Amino acid sequence: MKSTAFRRRTSARALLATGLLTGLVLASGCAKSEDEGDGDKKSSAQEGGEAAASSDTSGGETCTIDAYGGKKLDLKNATVGFSQSEKEANPFRIAETASIKAEAKKRGVKLLTANAQSQFSKQISDVQDLIAKGADLLVIAPLNSDGWEPVLRSAAARHIPIVTVDRKINAEPCKDYVSFIGSDFVEQGRRAADRMIEATGGKGTVAILLGAAGNNVTTERTKGFEERLKEKAPGLKVVFKQTGEFAREKGQQVTEQLIQSKPGIDGIYAENDEMGLGAVNALKGAGKKAGAVKIVTVDGTRNAVQGIVDGWISGVIESNPRFGPLAFTTLDSFAQGGKVSQEIVIKDSAYTEDNAKSDVDKAY
Amino acid sequence: MLSVSGLSKTFPSVRALDGVEFTARAGEVHALVGENGAGKSTLIKLLTGVHRPDPGGTLTYDGREVSFATPLDAQQAGISTIYQEVNLVPLMSVARNLFLGREPRGRLGLIDFRRMHREAERALAELGVRVDVRRPLRELGVGAQQMVALARAVAVDARVVLMDEPTSSLEPREVATLFGVIRMLRERGIAVIYVSHRMDELYAICDTVTVLRDGKVVHTGPLAGLDRLRLVSLMLGRDMDTVQDEGLTKFTGEHDAGREPVLRAEELTARHRLSEVSLDIRPGEVLGLGGLLGSGRSETAKALAGALPVDSGRVTVAGTRVRGGSTPAAIRAGISLLPEDRKAEGIVPGLSVRENIALAALPGLSRFGLVDEARIDRIVDTFVKRLRIKASSAHQKVGELSGGNQQKVLLARWLAMNPKVLLLDEPTRGIDVGAKAEVQKLIDELAADGLGVLLISSDMEELIEGSDRVVVLKDGAVVEELTGDQVTEDRLMRAIAAPAGESRD
Amino acid sequence: MTELTLGRVSADRARLLRLLQEYGVYLGVLVLLLVNIAFTPHFLSGENFRTQAVQVAPVLVVALGMALAIGTEGVDLSVGSVMALSTSLISLYLGYGVWIALLAALLGGIVVGLANGSLVAFVGVQPIVATLALMVAGRGLALVMLPQLKQVNDPDMAALGSGDLLGVPYLVLIAAGLALLVAFVVRRTTFGRQLLAIGDSRPAAQLAGLPVRRVLILVYVLCGALAAFAGVLATARLTASDPTSLGTLMELSAITAVVVGGTPLSGGRVRIGGTVAGAVLIQLLTATLIKHDLPPSWTQIAQAVVIVLAVYAARERGKR
Repeated sequence: MKSTAFRRRTSARALLATGLLTGLVLASGCAKSEDEGDGDKKSSAQEGGEAAASSDTSGGETCTIDAYGGKKLDLKNATVGFSQSEKEANPFRIAETASIKAEAKKRGVKLLTANAQSQFSKQISDVQDLIAKGADLLVIAPLNSDGWEPVLRSAAARHIPIVTVDRKINAEPCKDYVSFIGSDFVEQGRRAADRMIEATGGKGTVAILLGAAGNNVTTERTKGFEERLKEKAPGLKVVFKQTGEFAREKGQQVTEQLIQSKPGIDGIYAENDEMGLGAVNALKGAGKKAGAVKIVTVDGTRNAVQGIVDGWISGVIESNPRFGPLAFTTLDSFAQGGKVSQEIVIKDSAYTEDNAKSDVDKAY
Repeated sequence: MLSVSGLSKTFPSVRALDGVEFTARAGEVHALVGENGAGKSTLIKLLTGVHRPDPGGTLTYDGREVSFATPLDAQQAGISTIYQEVNLVPLMSVARNLFLGREPRGRLGLIDFRRMHREAERALAELGVRVDVRRPLRELGVGAQQMVALARAVAVDARVVLMDEPTSSLEPREVATLFGVIRMLRERGIAVIYVSHRMDELYAICDTVTVLRDGKVVHTGPLAGLDRLRLVSLMLGRDMDTVQDEGLTKFTGEHDAGREPVLRAEELTARHRLSEVSLDIRPGEVLGLGGLLGSGRSETAKALAGALPVDSGRVTVAGTRVRGGSTPAAIRAGISLLPEDRKAEGIVPGLSVRENIALAALPGLSRFGLVDEARIDRIVDTFVKRLRIKASSAHQKVGELSGGNQQKVLLARWLAMNPKVLLLDEPTRGIDVGAKAEVQKLIDELAADGLGVLLISSDMEELIEGSDRVVVLKDGAVVEELTGDQVTEDRLMRAIAAPAGESRD
Repeated sequence: MTELTLGRVSADRARLLRLLQEYGVYLGVLVLLLVNIAFTPHFLSGENFRTQAVQVAPVLVVALGMALAIGTEGVDLSVGSVMALSTSLISLYLGYGVWIALLAALLGGIVVGLANGSLVAFVGVQPIVATLALMVAGRGLALVMLPQLKQVNDPDMAALGSGDLLGVPYLVLIAAGLALLVAFVVRRTTFGRQLLAIGDSRPAAQLAGLPVRRVLILVYVLCGALAAFAGVLATARLTASDPTSLGTLMELSAITAVVVGGTPLSGGRVRIGGTVAGAVLIQLLTATLIKHDLPPSWTQIAQAVVIVLAVYAARERGKR
């Protein structure tokens, strides 16, 4: 019904709106952020804690190439495919990918990489692409635990050994994949508790800033922490447990409420660094002095370790993203016929007042 | 086949039907006619089970007394309805639509598509429609969709088919097909009830006619012997023998109209609605728009006010062309429209009398975007007094006022704009007698003050006595213009009743 | 006799219901305050009120824009993503100085508002659909610009986030000032009146020659700009840009504040005072539950209950 002249005007304006949005995207091109120019120191951090990676092969079931099927091969002449789950946007993913690449380079192994950009369907086709391009072995950082059947089938057909890192997939080890390398989140919770007991002297009250609800990392880090407190320091009581959704802003808001209703709180256990940094913000805002409330966090990002140096944080338990050395060692010994563990726990280091200053550059 | 007797229907505030007798016979096409508010749609809804009649009335179907609790009941009994708007599922295939809810099932209770498609093709072919029944319905033209609806109605073994203005969005060729189908239905012994305002169609296809007015049956009988003029006068409720010399309305009659038109419309055309409508409005004159419901009166007014986009044609005010399709442009040019649907398109019910009056003139009553409350108060005060608007205060919500006062508030809104032309679409509908007289007097005064007024009214008396000239519309086109002595009810009804092509003599 | 009494009772009930709809939100705030004063340790302190006021400030600023959109019988789901976009833009442009960064952030919000408004006003897309598109696209765009959290060390931003004037935090002053400004715009400007008329009856507004499209676009632009500004405030408070999580579920908080505050979803009415009270109500509710360390799931359930109550009240109001 509308006249064509009118319709043309409408679409012209719609076009204008689109153009404006495009402009907004382009605008980021001429951006200039606060600290432009000092961004090239990062490399040292990424090459950092190589030494920290070592396997804990004690106990657990093992796997050999005879049991799995396939032929022995020399890693030096092989091609390894790596499928990353999320965009290398957060420090953990950046460090994880960098570690894999660095190790491949060091060993002189040909590496193919792909990134699923948080889309599971893309990860499936990524892995199938890697196989098609001739990957002899695979390292996968899975986005999901389920839905891997099609990939596993095509990998099994060619007897391609698979190692998954940082997240398990729901399949049979030593049949569908060789082994899983990851952190022990319960253990991280226990070590955080140890650190908290040390910092507070084992007496008083602590609060927990929980991660996102329904997340296994949240449950396991909470479980380890609470169990260890009960066992080692019954005088240290958990009096407050609220979620900070793994986000700095929520951590700050919850801590603000906390320190007003419970001004005498002695310690705060934050289940990731971001919430811990939010808690630091809240304490600063409330006019507290550094170290008045002991904060222990998990992850080991550079900002949190810097927080120890500045005196606000008492301890950071690392969740190690540097799977490169361990993954390649495992694949190497497996391909040569050795026995490897079906479940390998990566060693997480920790930062305290003692090593924070010296090791802050190792943090990711 | 289907008949009702002593049927009444009362809604909380109105008695929509009052003791209606109506019989649809098998093998007969029965026209149901009446102006707006006559009770046609209520009757249809009672026949199809949408509404329940008041106690006392009886509905007889196929020789038995029945009562339909839901539309589904009526449908299952064999009464099918085809509405103005096709109510099918546009995304489903033609065949699915035809068999919706009664799909042929295979052994496992699954739809037997092959059989469904075959039967759908056959059913449509019988109606002379040849389409790919696997295609989604929406890909078909409106006419073809109408045919599918018809085929569906026939296929459910209907014994009564109700058609509510089935031709309103059809092309002439499609109308011919539709008539063919209706004749076929008649031959099969199906009772067809046909609702339309189009005189020519009625005479082309219908056997019998029932005229409703104010909820009562005023005439029923064979159509063949009924004079067109007589039919129109029955619908409008005017007796052609007794055209009064002295009106009951408050209009004074003649105005001293200026010679140069203030508004000139040339060949306004909008698909399916208006075809080449041209008219002039002179300052100081009331121009009436005559015609039956659906003849394009409101559409003409909306097109002039920029509220209905036109495909071609132009409107000029005082010699300057007005951009089409833009209400603000028309208002700037001095054209104001009092819309037919006062409640939905006129008043802003949640706002106060004051805000409603000031609404259109607001930009002029503001400085740097800030509202000048004192000036608004002065203007509101002036108009509340001048139009004698009765409200508890200027801050009362307009939605709470009576119809007449709402209408006055709308008039005040436009008068505050100092318009050159006022388009009034049914200005006195639904308001009480006292307020009606006031509004009529006001219209008269406004014209006397030099405003150009366009008056649309279904009230024949109001139209004839209020207007200096009357332009008669039919099917979206101007068929006649009555001037001077010709402005009589008799002439108007003759113009409306004239068969297509013979209107201008 | 009985009927007469019944009639009076139901009339009384109707009046009570209407009063509750009008002033229920203030009553709710009062009840929560009293409950907390009685049962929450250390509640009655300047520090505590300061905390609650500071936390509610960004939500309120977003809710002000949302109130305008809802007043036109629309809604803006993209506000949370606009906050993320704004925080990314601040970090990216802080190198040019704090004013340029602020301008960039606001421009980002305005551009999104223009896109929302054009889709609603010209293309005729339902507001909920139009803004949903930008809700999804906006955060994606924010993450393209700034893929991860970034510390903001600018002293001016830090001052904005934690400074105060005569004991009143800047954030609270700004939010209060904006609330007054928006209330003024709604009550006293041509734009405000036209907005209400459009929300109440769009066909009537159209036929009355109101610049419906222009008003709608301006509403979404204001809503976007306010959300972007809320993003600036939140960034200043956090002293970091966190496009991943900043503003998530903000649209729900804002809509809840507006609706709880007595602005009907059917448009035609905007209650700024009620919106302020609505935002405070949600803040107090969350604070109460956190302070008493009730399980986090309770907080979600309590918020859901408030939303249901608000929607119920809105429905009653809609019946009119």
